[in-house]
Amino acid sequence: MSHTATTIPRSNSPAGKCDYCGHPFPTTDRLVLHKGLEHPQQLDDVEVEAFHEARSNETDELRTLRLKALGALVLLYFGLLFMYAIFA
Amino acid sequence: MPSLPDSETNTGASEERHTDPSPRSRIRKWVVSNTKVRLFVQFVTWVSILTLFTGTVAAGNGMTLSKQPRDTLAVPRWLYLATGGATIGASALLASFVTDRAFIRYLHNWSLSGPTIDDWWTPIRWIGRSLGIVVLGLAVYLGLTGPQLPTASFTILVTFVVVRAGLPMLTYLGGNVWPALNPWRGIVSLLPAGHRTYPRELARWPAVGGLLLLVWIEVIFPVSTIPSTLSIAILTYSAVTIAGAVLFGPDAWFENADPISVLFRFFGAVAPLKRRDGKLTVKLPGSDLTDSDLITDTSDVAFVIALIWELTYSGFITTQTGAATTEALVSLSNIGVGAVQIRAILIYTLLFVSGYVVFFAAYWYAGVLSRRRTGTYITAKRIAFRFAPSLLAIAAGYHLAHYTGLAVSLSPALGMAILSPLSPPANPLTLSPPGWFEGLSIAYVLIGHLLAIWAAHATAYELFSSRLVAIRSQYPFIVVMIGYTVISLWILSLPGATPPYLP
Repeated sequence: MSHTATTIPRSNSPAGKCDYCGHPFPTTDRLVLHKGLEHPQQLDDVEVEAFHEARSNETDELRTLRLKALGALVLLYFGLLFMYAIFA
Repeated sequence: MPSLPDSETNTGASEERHTDPSPRSRIRKWVVSNTKVRLFVQFVTWVSILTLFTGTVAAGNGMTLSKQPRDTLAVPRWLYLATGGATIGASALLASFVTDRAFIRYLHNWSLSGPTIDDWWTPIRWIGRSLGIVVLGLAVYLGLTGPQLPTASFTILVTFVVVRAGLPMLTYLGGNVWPALNPWRGIVSLLPAGHRTYPRELARWPAVGGLLLLVWIEVIFPVSTIPSTLSIAILTYSAVTIAGAVLFGPDAWFENADPISVLFRFFGAVAPLKRRDGKLTVKLPGSDLTDSDLITDTSDVAFVIALIWELTYSGFITTQTGAATTEALVSLSNIGVGAVQIRAILIYTLLFVSGYVVFFAAYWYAGVLSRRRTGTYITAKRIAFRFAPSLLAIAAGYHLAHYTGLAVSLSPALGMAILSPLSPPANPLTLSPPGWFEGLSIAYVLIGHLLAIWAAHATAYELFSSRLVAIRSQYPFIVVMIGYTVISLWILSLPGATPPYLP
Protein backbone atom coordinates (compact mmCIF):
# COMPACT_ATOMS: atom_id res chain seq x y z
CA MET A 1 0.00 0.00 0.00
CA SER A 2 1.52 3.29 -1.04
CA HIS A 3 0.74 6.40 0.94
CA THR A 4 2.32 8.97 -1.31
CA ALA A 5 -0.87 10.25 -2.92
CA THR A 6 -2.59 12.07 -0.07
CA THR A 7 -3.80 15.64 0.29
CA ILE A 8 -5.34 17.30 3.30
CA PRO A 9 -8.22 19.72 2.65
CA ARG A 10 -7.58 23.22 4.00
CA SER A 11 -10.68 23.20 6.21
CA ASN A 12 -9.60 19.95 7.83
CA SER A 13 -6.95 19.15 10.38
CA PRO A 14 -5.68 15.61 10.57
CA ALA A 15 -6.00 13.78 13.88
CA GLY A 16 -2.53 12.40 13.42
CA LYS A 17 0.13 11.00 11.17
CA CYS A 18 1.46 7.50 11.12
CA ASP A 19 4.87 7.46 12.88
CA TYR A 20 6.17 4.80 10.52
CA CYS A 21 5.07 5.86 7.04
CA GLY A 22 3.77 9.41 7.47
CA HIS A 23 0.26 8.74 6.18
CA PRO A 24 -2.16 11.31 7.66
CA PHE A 25 -5.57 10.26 9.03
CA PRO A 26 -8.69 12.29 9.80
CA THR A 27 -9.55 10.33 12.96
CA THR A 28 -7.49 8.66 15.68
CA ASP A 29 -9.37 5.38 15.25
CA ARG A 30 -8.33 5.06 11.63
CA LEU A 31 -4.73 5.90 12.52
CA VAL A 32 -4.68 3.24 15.21
CA LEU A 33 -6.21 0.66 12.88
CA HIS A 34 -3.74 1.55 10.15
CA LYS A 35 -0.77 1.12 12.51
CA GLY A 36 -2.03 -2.25 13.70
CA LEU A 37 -2.60 -3.58 10.20
CA GLU A 38 0.34 -2.15 8.33
CA HIS A 39 3.10 -2.02 10.94
CA PRO A 40 2.24 -4.79 13.44
CA GLN A 41 5.89 -5.61 14.20
CA GLN A 42 6.85 -2.08 15.22
CA LEU A 43 4.10 -1.39 17.76
CA ASP A 44 4.58 -1.13 21.53
CA ASP A 45 2.14 -2.61 24.07
CA VAL A 46 0.07 0.56 24.46
CA GLU A 47 -0.45 0.79 20.72
CA VAL A 48 -1.34 -2.89 20.48
CA GLU A 49 -3.92 -2.42 23.24
CA ALA A 50 -5.34 0.63 21.47
CA PHE A 51 -5.51 -1.36 18.23
CA HIS A 52 -7.51 -4.16 19.82
CA GLU A 53 -9.92 -1.69 21.34
CA ALA A 54 -10.39 0.18 18.07
CA ARG A 55 -10.91 -3.10 16.32
CA SER A 56 -13.59 -4.31 18.69
CA ASN A 57 -15.36 -0.92 18.46
CA GLU A 58 -15.21 -1.26 14.72
CA THR A 59 -16.63 -4.77 14.91
CA ASP A 60 -19.64 -3.41 16.83
CA GLU A 61 -20.24 -0.77 14.21
CA LEU A 62 -19.85 -3.36 11.48
CA ARG A 63 -22.54 -5.43 13.12
CA THR A 64 -24.94 -2.49 12.86
CA LEU A 65 -23.97 -1.97 9.25
CA ARG A 66 -24.59 -5.64 8.51
CA LEU A 67 -28.04 -5.42 10.02
CA LYS A 68 -28.79 -2.43 7.80
CA ALA A 69 -27.47 -4.31 4.77
CA LEU A 70 -29.63 -7.27 5.66
CA GLY A 71 -32.64 -4.96 5.97
CA ALA A 72 -31.88 -3.48 2.57
CA LEU A 73 -31.60 -6.96 1.07
CA VAL A 74 -34.94 -8.01 2.51
CA LEU A 75 -36.57 -4.81 1.23
CA LEU A 76 -35.03 -5.33 -2.19
CA TYR A 77 -36.15 -8.94 -2.32
CA PHE A 78 -39.73 -8.32 -1.32
CA GLY A 79 -39.91 -5.15 -3.39
CA LEU A 80 -38.96 -7.11 -6.49
CA LEU A 81 -41.23 -9.97 -5.52
CA PHE A 82 -44.25 -7.67 -5.32
CA MET A 83 -43.27 -5.92 -8.52
CA TYR A 84 -43.16 -9.26 -10.31
CA ALA A 85 -46.49 -10.27 -8.77
CA ILE A 86 -48.12 -7.07 -10.01
CA PHE A 87 -46.49 -6.47 -13.39
CA ALA A 88 -45.35 -9.81 -14.73
CA MET B 1 -0.07 -23.25 -0.10
CA PRO B 2 -1.49 -19.93 0.90
CA SER B 3 0.64 -17.96 3.28
CA LEU B 4 -1.13 -15.49 5.46
CA PRO B 5 0.48 -12.32 6.69
CA ASP B 6 1.51 -12.55 10.32
CA SER B 7 -0.54 -9.59 11.39
CA GLU B 8 -3.74 -11.29 10.33
CA THR B 9 -3.12 -14.54 12.15
CA ASN B 10 -2.12 -12.57 15.24
CA THR B 11 -5.30 -10.56 15.21
CA GLY B 12 -7.41 -13.59 14.57
CA ALA B 13 -5.90 -15.46 17.48
CA SER B 14 -5.70 -12.60 19.93
CA GLU B 15 -9.30 -11.62 19.47
CA GLU B 16 -10.15 -14.88 21.22
CA ARG B 17 -8.07 -14.18 24.29
CA HIS B 18 -10.79 -14.59 26.89
CA THR B 19 -11.49 -18.30 26.89
CA ASP B 20 -12.73 -20.75 29.45
CA PRO B 21 -11.24 -24.21 29.59
CA SER B 22 -14.37 -26.34 28.90
CA PRO B 23 -13.87 -28.86 26.05
CA ARG B 24 -16.71 -27.49 23.95
CA SER B 25 -15.29 -24.02 23.91
CA ARG B 26 -11.87 -25.49 23.23
CA ILE B 27 -13.20 -27.06 20.04
CA ARG B 28 -14.91 -23.82 19.21
CA LYS B 29 -11.69 -21.98 19.81
CA TRP B 30 -9.83 -24.40 17.58
CA VAL B 31 -12.35 -23.93 14.80
CA VAL B 32 -12.29 -20.17 15.14
CA SER B 33 -8.56 -19.79 15.49
CA ASN B 34 -7.75 -22.29 12.79
CA THR B 35 -7.59 -19.91 9.87
CA LYS B 36 -7.83 -22.59 7.23
CA VAL B 37 -11.04 -24.10 8.60
CA ARG B 38 -12.52 -20.63 8.98
CA LEU B 39 -11.53 -19.68 5.49
CA PHE B 40 -12.95 -22.87 4.05
CA VAL B 41 -16.29 -22.46 5.79
CA GLN B 42 -16.53 -18.83 4.69
CA PHE B 43 -15.52 -19.70 1.16
CA VAL B 44 -18.17 -22.39 0.81
CA THR B 45 -20.85 -20.16 2.31
CA TRP B 46 -20.15 -17.17 0.10
CA VAL B 47 -19.72 -19.12 -3.08
CA SER B 48 -22.98 -20.97 -2.53
CA ILE B 49 -24.88 -17.78 -1.69
CA LEU B 50 -23.51 -15.95 -4.70
CA THR B 51 -24.11 -18.79 -7.17
CA LEU B 52 -27.63 -19.29 -5.84
CA PHE B 53 -28.38 -15.62 -6.21
CA THR B 54 -26.89 -15.09 -9.66
CA GLY B 55 -28.16 -18.48 -10.80
CA THR B 56 -31.81 -17.71 -10.17
CA VAL B 57 -31.69 -14.23 -11.64
CA ALA B 58 -29.80 -15.25 -14.74
CA ALA B 59 -31.99 -18.29 -15.27
CA GLY B 60 -35.10 -16.20 -14.82
CA ASN B 61 -34.01 -13.78 -17.50
CA GLY B 62 -32.85 -16.53 -19.79
CA MET B 63 -36.21 -18.26 -19.63
CA THR B 64 -38.30 -15.20 -20.38
CA LEU B 65 -36.05 -14.36 -23.27
CA SER B 66 -35.82 -17.74 -24.91
CA LYS B 67 -39.56 -18.16 -25.17
CA GLN B 68 -40.23 -14.77 -26.65
CA PRO B 69 -38.68 -12.77 -29.43
CA ARG B 70 -36.33 -10.07 -28.29
CA ASP B 71 -38.73 -7.12 -28.34
CA THR B 72 -41.64 -8.65 -26.43
CA LEU B 73 -40.35 -9.55 -23.01
CA ALA B 74 -42.72 -11.41 -20.71
CA VAL B 75 -41.79 -8.94 -17.97
CA PRO B 76 -41.94 -5.21 -18.65
CA ARG B 77 -38.60 -3.83 -19.72
CA TRP B 78 -38.21 -1.50 -16.74
CA LEU B 79 -38.70 -4.44 -14.38
CA TYR B 80 -36.11 -6.49 -16.23
CA LEU B 81 -33.68 -3.57 -16.01
CA ALA B 82 -34.50 -3.04 -12.33
CA THR B 83 -33.81 -6.70 -11.65
CA GLY B 84 -30.45 -6.46 -13.36
CA GLY B 85 -29.54 -3.36 -11.38
CA ALA B 86 -30.82 -4.95 -8.18
CA THR B 87 -28.63 -8.01 -8.78
CA ILE B 88 -25.56 -5.78 -8.73
CA GLY B 89 -26.81 -3.83 -5.72
CA ALA B 90 -27.67 -6.98 -3.82
CA SER B 91 -24.32 -8.57 -4.52
CA ALA B 92 -22.61 -5.42 -3.31
CA LEU B 93 -24.64 -5.66 -0.09
CA LEU B 94 -23.70 -9.33 0.20
CA ALA B 95 -20.04 -8.51 -0.41
CA SER B 96 -20.18 -6.01 2.44
CA PHE B 97 -20.80 -8.94 4.77
CA VAL B 98 -17.35 -10.29 3.97
CA THR B 99 -15.20 -8.30 6.35
CA ASP B 100 -12.46 -10.82 7.02
CA ARG B 101 -9.25 -9.41 5.58
CA ALA B 102 -7.48 -12.74 5.86
CA PHE B 103 -10.18 -14.39 3.76
CA ILE B 104 -10.11 -11.70 1.08
CA ARG B 105 -6.33 -11.80 0.89
CA TYR B 106 -6.37 -15.58 0.79
CA LEU B 107 -8.71 -15.59 -2.21
CA HIS B 108 -6.63 -13.04 -4.05
CA ASN B 109 -3.29 -14.64 -3.31
CA TRP B 110 -4.42 -18.16 -4.09
CA SER B 111 -2.39 -19.59 -6.93
CA LEU B 112 -1.24 -22.88 -8.38
CA SER B 113 2.19 -23.02 -9.96
CA GLY B 114 2.37 -24.88 -13.21
CA PRO B 115 5.32 -25.98 -15.32
CA THR B 116 8.24 -23.68 -16.01
CA ILE B 117 7.80 -22.15 -19.43
CA ASP B 118 10.74 -19.80 -19.68
CA ASP B 119 12.86 -22.29 -21.64
CA TRP B 120 10.04 -22.60 -24.11
CA TRP B 121 9.18 -18.93 -24.23
CA THR B 122 11.68 -17.90 -26.93
CA PRO B 123 10.83 -20.67 -29.44
CA ILE B 124 7.08 -20.21 -28.76
CA ARG B 125 7.44 -16.50 -29.38
CA TRP B 126 9.30 -17.02 -32.62
CA ILE B 127 6.83 -19.57 -33.94
CA GLY B 128 3.86 -17.46 -32.85
CA ARG B 129 5.17 -14.25 -34.33
CA SER B 130 6.15 -15.93 -37.59
CA LEU B 131 2.60 -17.29 -37.77
CA GLY B 132 1.34 -13.79 -37.03
CA ILE B 133 3.42 -12.29 -39.83
CA VAL B 134 2.22 -14.94 -42.31
CA VAL B 135 -1.43 -14.34 -41.35
CA LEU B 136 -0.95 -10.56 -41.54
CA GLY B 137 0.63 -10.77 -44.99
CA LEU B 138 -2.01 -13.19 -46.22
CA ALA B 139 -4.81 -11.01 -44.83
CA VAL B 140 -3.56 -7.89 -46.57
CA TYR B 141 -2.90 -9.72 -49.84
CA LEU B 142 -6.20 -11.60 -49.93
CA GLY B 143 -8.18 -8.52 -48.96
CA LEU B 144 -6.88 -6.74 -52.04
CA THR B 145 -7.04 -9.65 -54.49
CA GLY B 146 -9.50 -12.17 -53.01
CA PRO B 147 -13.31 -12.35 -53.16
CA GLN B 148 -15.03 -9.15 -52.04
CA LEU B 149 -17.72 -10.99 -50.07
CA PRO B 150 -17.48 -10.44 -46.30
CA THR B 151 -18.33 -13.98 -45.15
CA ALA B 152 -15.92 -15.53 -47.67
CA SER B 153 -13.06 -13.12 -47.09
CA PHE B 154 -10.09 -14.39 -45.12
CA THR B 155 -9.19 -10.79 -44.22
CA ILE B 156 -12.54 -9.90 -42.69
CA LEU B 157 -12.99 -13.22 -40.95
CA VAL B 158 -9.53 -13.20 -39.42
CA THR B 159 -9.76 -9.56 -38.35
CA PHE B 160 -13.22 -9.68 -36.82
CA VAL B 161 -13.76 -13.28 -35.76
CA VAL B 162 -10.20 -13.95 -34.58
CA VAL B 163 -8.61 -10.66 -33.53
CA ARG B 164 -11.74 -8.71 -32.53
CA ALA B 165 -13.82 -11.53 -31.02
CA GLY B 166 -11.85 -14.73 -30.39
CA LEU B 167 -8.47 -13.56 -29.11
CA PRO B 168 -9.87 -11.18 -26.46
CA MET B 169 -12.10 -14.03 -25.27
CA LEU B 170 -9.11 -16.34 -25.08
CA THR B 171 -7.25 -13.56 -23.25
CA TYR B 172 -9.71 -12.92 -20.43
CA LEU B 173 -10.95 -16.50 -20.13
CA GLY B 174 -7.51 -18.11 -20.46
CA GLY B 175 -4.40 -15.97 -20.66
CA ASN B 176 -2.78 -13.25 -22.74
CA VAL B 177 -1.07 -14.84 -25.75
CA TRP B 178 -0.87 -11.66 -27.82
CA PRO B 179 2.80 -10.89 -26.98
CA ALA B 180 3.65 -14.27 -28.55
CA LEU B 181 1.55 -13.63 -31.68
CA ASN B 182 2.02 -9.92 -32.32
CA PRO B 183 3.17 -9.80 -35.98
CA TRP B 184 4.25 -6.15 -35.84
CA ARG B 185 6.52 -6.88 -32.92
CA GLY B 186 7.97 -9.75 -34.92
CA ILE B 187 8.70 -7.43 -37.83
CA VAL B 188 10.17 -4.69 -35.64
CA SER B 189 12.47 -7.13 -33.84
CA LEU B 190 14.25 -7.62 -37.17
CA LEU B 191 14.84 -3.89 -37.60
CA PRO B 192 17.15 -1.46 -35.80
CA ALA B 193 14.89 0.35 -33.32
CA GLY B 194 14.85 2.83 -30.45
CA HIS B 195 16.10 6.07 -31.96
CA ARG B 196 14.20 8.26 -29.48
CA THR B 197 13.10 7.71 -25.89
CA TYR B 198 9.37 7.52 -25.43
CA PRO B 199 8.07 10.69 -23.73
CA ARG B 200 6.98 9.54 -20.28
CA GLU B 201 4.31 12.19 -19.82
CA LEU B 202 2.39 10.80 -22.83
CA ALA B 203 1.77 7.62 -20.80
CA ARG B 204 -0.94 5.51 -22.44
CA TRP B 205 -2.74 8.43 -24.12
CA PRO B 206 -1.66 7.38 -27.64
CA ALA B 207 -3.25 3.97 -27.01
CA VAL B 208 -6.48 5.61 -25.79
CA GLY B 209 -6.58 7.77 -28.91
CA GLY B 210 -5.70 4.77 -31.07
CA LEU B 211 -8.45 2.60 -29.62
CA LEU B 212 -11.10 5.31 -30.02
CA LEU B 213 -9.89 5.96 -33.56
CA LEU B 214 -10.00 2.26 -34.48
CA VAL B 215 -13.57 1.95 -33.22
CA TRP B 216 -14.55 5.17 -35.02
CA ILE B 217 -13.09 3.80 -38.27
CA GLU B 218 -14.92 0.51 -37.70
CA VAL B 219 -18.21 2.42 -37.42
CA ILE B 220 -17.75 5.01 -40.17
CA PHE B 221 -15.86 3.09 -42.86
CA PRO B 222 -17.03 -0.18 -44.43
CA VAL B 223 -14.08 -2.13 -43.01
CA SER B 224 -16.30 -5.01 -41.90
CA THR B 225 -17.98 -5.42 -45.29
CA ILE B 226 -15.43 -4.58 -48.00
CA PRO B 227 -12.20 -6.60 -47.70
CA SER B 228 -10.08 -4.22 -49.80
CA THR B 229 -10.97 -1.29 -47.49
CA LEU B 230 -9.99 -3.41 -44.51
CA SER B 231 -6.70 -4.30 -46.19
CA ILE B 232 -5.90 -0.64 -46.65
CA ALA B 233 -6.79 0.02 -43.00
CA ILE B 234 -4.52 -2.84 -41.88
CA LEU B 235 -1.70 -1.53 -44.07
CA THR B 236 -2.07 1.96 -42.59
CA TYR B 237 -2.14 0.56 -39.06
CA SER B 238 0.95 -1.55 -39.80
CA ALA B 239 2.82 1.44 -41.18
CA VAL B 240 2.03 3.58 -38.14
CA THR B 241 2.85 0.76 -35.70
CA ILE B 242 6.14 -0.19 -37.33
CA ALA B 243 7.20 3.44 -37.66
CA GLY B 244 6.35 4.13 -34.02
CA ALA B 245 8.03 0.98 -32.73
CA VAL B 246 11.18 1.64 -34.77
CA LEU B 247 11.32 5.23 -33.55
CA PHE B 248 10.68 4.62 -29.83
CA GLY B 249 11.74 0.98 -29.51
CA PRO B 250 9.35 -1.98 -29.43
CA ASP B 251 9.13 -2.25 -25.63
CA ALA B 252 8.04 1.34 -25.09
CA TRP B 253 5.74 1.37 -28.11
CA PHE B 254 3.84 -1.85 -27.47
CA GLU B 255 3.66 -1.15 -23.74
CA ASN B 256 2.26 2.36 -24.09
CA ALA B 257 1.13 3.44 -27.52
CA ASP B 258 -0.15 0.41 -29.45
CA PRO B 259 -3.89 0.14 -28.72
CA ILE B 260 -4.15 -3.58 -29.56
CA SER B 261 -1.27 -4.60 -27.29
CA VAL B 262 -2.53 -2.43 -24.43
CA LEU B 263 -6.02 -3.91 -24.88
CA PHE B 264 -4.70 -7.45 -24.59
CA ARG B 265 -2.52 -6.55 -21.62
CA PHE B 266 -5.52 -5.15 -19.75
CA PHE B 267 -7.82 -8.03 -20.66
CA GLY B 268 -5.04 -10.37 -19.58
CA ALA B 269 -5.32 -8.95 -16.05
CA VAL B 270 -8.74 -10.62 -15.71
CA ALA B 271 -7.41 -14.00 -16.87
CA PRO B 272 -6.81 -17.00 -14.62
CA LEU B 273 -3.58 -18.05 -16.40
CA LYS B 274 -0.47 -15.94 -15.90
CA ARG B 275 3.23 -16.13 -16.62
CA ARG B 276 4.86 -15.37 -13.30
CA ASP B 277 8.52 -15.82 -12.40
CA GLY B 278 8.96 -17.97 -15.48
CA LYS B 279 6.17 -20.32 -14.45
CA LEU B 280 2.68 -20.80 -15.76
CA THR B 281 0.45 -19.88 -12.81
CA VAL B 282 -3.27 -20.41 -12.27
CA LYS B 283 -5.08 -17.79 -10.21
CA LEU B 284 -8.73 -17.15 -9.50
CA PRO B 285 -10.22 -15.06 -12.32
CA GLY B 286 -9.99 -11.38 -11.57
CA SER B 287 -7.80 -11.79 -8.51
CA ASP B 288 -5.15 -9.54 -10.04
CA LEU B 289 -7.64 -6.71 -10.38
CA THR B 290 -6.60 -5.43 -6.96
CA ASP B 291 -3.01 -4.85 -8.11
CA SER B 292 -1.92 -1.29 -7.52
CA ASP B 293 0.58 -1.35 -10.39
CA LEU B 294 -1.94 -2.14 -13.13
CA ILE B 295 -3.32 1.40 -13.38
CA THR B 296 -0.74 4.10 -12.80
CA ASP B 297 -1.98 7.00 -14.89
CA THR B 298 -5.18 8.79 -15.84
CA SER B 299 -4.69 7.48 -19.37
CA ASP B 300 -5.02 3.92 -18.05
CA VAL B 301 -8.38 4.78 -16.54
CA ALA B 302 -9.35 6.43 -19.83
CA PHE B 303 -8.39 3.28 -21.70
CA VAL B 304 -10.44 1.00 -19.45
CA ILE B 305 -13.48 3.27 -19.76
CA ALA B 306 -12.93 3.36 -23.54
CA LEU B 307 -13.12 -0.45 -23.57
CA ILE B 308 -16.49 -0.34 -21.82
CA TRP B 309 -17.79 2.55 -23.88
CA GLU B 310 -16.85 1.24 -27.31
CA LEU B 311 -18.76 -1.99 -26.64
CA THR B 312 -21.76 -0.07 -25.34
CA TYR B 313 -21.67 2.30 -28.30
CA SER B 314 -21.33 -0.31 -31.03
CA GLY B 315 -24.13 -2.22 -29.32
CA PHE B 316 -26.36 0.86 -29.21
CA ILE B 317 -26.03 2.04 -32.82
CA THR B 318 -26.97 -1.43 -34.12
CA THR B 319 -30.37 -1.38 -32.36
CA GLN B 320 -33.64 0.04 -33.69
CA THR B 321 -33.64 2.69 -30.97
CA GLY B 322 -30.08 3.62 -31.85
CA ALA B 323 -30.96 3.87 -35.53
CA ALA B 324 -34.04 5.97 -34.75
CA THR B 325 -31.97 8.26 -32.52
CA THR B 326 -29.40 8.79 -35.26
CA GLU B 327 -32.10 9.46 -37.86
CA ALA B 328 -33.83 11.95 -35.58
CA LEU B 329 -30.57 13.75 -34.82
CA VAL B 330 -29.57 13.84 -38.49
CA SER B 331 -32.94 15.31 -39.53
CA LEU B 332 -32.69 17.81 -36.66
CA SER B 333 -29.28 18.92 -37.83
CA ASN B 334 -30.65 19.73 -41.29
CA ILE B 335 -29.76 23.42 -41.50
CA GLY B 336 -29.31 23.47 -45.25
CA VAL B 337 -25.57 22.90 -45.36
CA GLY B 338 -23.71 19.67 -45.90
CA ALA B 339 -24.81 16.40 -47.42
CA VAL B 340 -26.79 13.89 -45.35
CA GLN B 341 -23.80 11.53 -45.28
CA ILE B 342 -21.47 14.14 -43.82
CA ARG B 343 -24.01 15.17 -41.18
CA ALA B 344 -24.61 11.50 -40.30
CA ILE B 345 -20.89 10.96 -39.79
CA LEU B 346 -20.76 14.07 -37.60
CA ILE B 347 -23.70 12.82 -35.53
CA TYR B 348 -22.11 9.38 -35.10
CA THR B 349 -18.86 11.00 -34.03
CA LEU B 350 -20.62 13.38 -31.67
CA LEU B 351 -22.56 10.54 -30.03
CA PHE B 352 -19.38 8.51 -29.73
CA VAL B 353 -17.34 11.28 -28.12
CA SER B 354 -20.06 12.68 -25.84
CA GLY B 355 -21.06 9.24 -24.56
CA TYR B 356 -17.44 8.49 -23.79
CA VAL B 357 -17.06 11.75 -21.91
CA VAL B 358 -20.20 10.97 -19.88
CA PHE B 359 -18.95 7.45 -19.02
CA PHE B 360 -15.54 8.77 -18.04
CA ALA B 361 -16.94 11.68 -16.02
CA ALA B 362 -19.35 9.38 -14.16
CA TYR B 363 -16.49 7.14 -13.09
CA TRP B 364 -14.22 10.02 -12.16
CA TYR B 365 -16.96 11.71 -10.15
CA ALA B 366 -17.47 8.45 -8.26
CA GLY B 367 -13.84 8.71 -7.16
CA VAL B 368 -14.39 12.29 -5.97
CA LEU B 369 -17.57 11.31 -4.11
CA SER B 370 -15.88 8.31 -2.56
CA ARG B 371 -13.18 10.57 -1.14
CA ARG B 372 -15.68 13.14 0.09
CA ARG B 373 -17.99 10.63 1.74
CA THR B 374 -15.26 8.78 3.60
CA GLY B 375 -13.27 11.89 4.50
CA THR B 376 -10.05 10.11 3.61
CA TYR B 377 -6.87 12.00 2.76
CA ILE B 378 -6.06 9.71 -0.14
CA THR B 379 -6.56 11.73 -3.33
CA ALA B 380 -9.59 11.15 -5.53
CA LYS B 381 -7.24 10.39 -8.40
CA ARG B 382 -5.57 7.62 -6.51
CA ILE B 383 -8.92 6.16 -5.45
CA ALA B 384 -10.03 6.24 -9.09
CA PHE B 385 -6.79 4.48 -10.13
CA ARG B 386 -7.24 1.73 -7.56
CA PHE B 387 -10.86 0.96 -8.42
CA ALA B 388 -10.41 1.15 -12.21
CA PRO B 389 -9.04 -2.41 -12.70
CA SER B 390 -12.35 -3.82 -11.45
CA LEU B 391 -13.99 -2.23 -14.50
CA LEU B 392 -11.95 -4.60 -16.68
CA ALA B 393 -14.17 -7.46 -15.53
CA ILE B 394 -17.17 -5.45 -16.73
CA ALA B 395 -15.49 -4.82 -20.08
CA ALA B 396 -14.76 -8.54 -20.41
CA GLY B 397 -18.39 -9.39 -19.65
CA TYR B 398 -19.63 -6.89 -22.25
CA HIS B 399 -17.21 -8.20 -24.82
CA LEU B 400 -18.33 -11.78 -24.28
CA ALA B 401 -21.99 -10.73 -24.44
CA HIS B 402 -21.51 -8.82 -27.68
CA TYR B 403 -19.20 -11.15 -29.57
CA THR B 404 -20.15 -14.75 -28.67
CA GLY B 405 -22.96 -14.73 -31.23
CA LEU B 406 -20.71 -13.38 -33.96
CA ALA B 407 -17.90 -15.81 -33.19
CA VAL B 408 -20.23 -18.81 -33.19
CA SER B 409 -22.18 -17.86 -36.31
CA LEU B 410 -19.08 -17.15 -38.40
CA SER B 411 -16.85 -19.95 -37.11
CA PRO B 412 -17.67 -22.40 -39.99
CA ALA B 413 -16.95 -19.65 -42.52
CA LEU B 414 -13.67 -18.94 -40.75
CA GLY B 415 -12.77 -22.62 -40.86
CA MET B 416 -13.41 -22.69 -44.61
CA ALA B 417 -11.41 -19.51 -45.17
CA ILE B 418 -8.47 -20.90 -43.20
CA LEU B 419 -8.54 -24.26 -44.99
CA SER B 420 -8.63 -22.72 -48.43
CA PRO B 421 -7.67 -19.05 -48.12
CA LEU B 422 -7.05 -18.62 -51.83
CA SER B 423 -10.33 -20.08 -53.10
CA PRO B 424 -12.96 -20.00 -50.34
CA PRO B 425 -16.47 -21.30 -51.13
CA ALA B 426 -18.66 -18.61 -52.67
CA ASN B 427 -21.55 -19.25 -50.30
CA PRO B 428 -20.10 -20.21 -46.92
CA LEU B 429 -22.12 -21.64 -44.08
CA THR B 430 -23.17 -19.23 -41.32
CA LEU B 431 -24.88 -20.50 -38.20
CA SER B 432 -27.72 -18.65 -36.52
CA PRO B 433 -27.29 -18.95 -32.75
CA PRO B 434 -30.30 -20.33 -30.86
CA GLY B 435 -32.54 -18.04 -28.83
CA TRP B 436 -31.02 -18.87 -25.48
CA PHE B 437 -27.84 -17.12 -26.60
CA GLU B 438 -29.61 -13.87 -25.72
CA GLY B 439 -30.08 -15.16 -22.19
CA LEU B 440 -26.41 -16.10 -22.08
CA SER B 441 -25.45 -12.53 -23.05
CA ILE B 442 -27.40 -11.19 -20.09
CA ALA B 443 -25.67 -13.71 -17.85
CA TYR B 444 -22.23 -12.61 -19.16
CA VAL B 445 -22.98 -8.95 -18.46
CA LEU B 446 -24.13 -9.77 -14.93
CA ILE B 447 -21.19 -12.11 -14.21
CA GLY B 448 -18.76 -9.42 -15.37
CA HIS B 449 -20.35 -6.94 -13.01
CA LEU B 450 -20.39 -9.36 -10.10
CA LEU B 451 -16.68 -10.00 -10.56
CA ALA B 452 -16.16 -6.24 -10.68
CA ILE B 453 -18.14 -5.74 -7.45
CA TRP B 454 -15.99 -8.33 -5.75
CA ALA B 455 -12.75 -6.85 -7.11
CA ALA B 456 -13.82 -3.40 -5.92
CA HIS B 457 -14.61 -4.80 -2.48
CA ALA B 458 -11.20 -6.45 -2.22
CA THR B 459 -9.50 -3.29 -3.47
CA ALA B 460 -11.26 -1.19 -0.86
CA TYR B 461 -9.94 -3.52 1.83
CA GLU B 462 -6.41 -3.14 0.49
CA LEU B 463 -6.72 0.62 0.32
CA PHE B 464 -8.36 1.42 3.67
CA SER B 465 -7.40 0.17 7.09
CA SER B 466 -10.83 0.77 8.57
CA ARG B 467 -13.35 -1.81 7.41
CA LEU B 468 -16.23 0.65 7.72
CA VAL B 469 -14.44 3.16 5.52
CA ALA B 470 -13.64 0.37 3.06
CA ILE B 471 -17.31 -0.48 2.73
CA ARG B 472 -18.44 3.15 2.47
CA SER B 473 -15.80 3.99 -0.12
CA GLN B 474 -17.40 1.55 -2.57
CA TYR B 475 -20.89 3.05 -2.64
CA PRO B 476 -20.31 5.62 -5.43
CA PHE B 477 -18.56 3.03 -7.57
CA ILE B 478 -21.39 0.57 -7.06
CA VAL B 479 -23.87 3.20 -8.24
CA VAL B 480 -21.80 3.78 -11.38
CA MET B 481 -21.58 0.03 -11.98
CA ILE B 482 -25.35 -0.32 -11.60
CA GLY B 483 -25.70 2.47 -14.17
CA TYR B 484 -23.39 0.66 -16.61
CA THR B 485 -25.27 -2.63 -16.10
CA VAL B 486 -28.69 -1.10 -16.66
CA ILE B 487 -27.51 0.62 -19.87
CA SER B 488 -25.93 -2.57 -21.14
CA LEU B 489 -28.93 -4.76 -20.31
CA TRP B 490 -31.21 -2.19 -21.95
CA ILE B 491 -29.16 -2.38 -25.16
CA LEU B 492 -29.27 -6.17 -25.09
CA SER B 493 -33.08 -6.06 -24.80
CA LEU B 494 -33.54 -3.81 -27.85
CA PRO B 495 -34.34 -5.28 -31.27
CA GLY B 496 -31.43 -5.12 -33.71
CA ALA B 497 -31.14 -2.95 -36.81
CA THR B 498 -28.60 -1.83 -39.39
CA PRO B 499 -27.16 1.59 -38.55
CA PRO B 500 -28.54 4.10 -41.11
CA TYR B 501 -26.52 6.32 -43.52
CA LEU B 502 -23.37 4.23 -43.23
CA PRO B 503 -21.76 2.61 -46.27
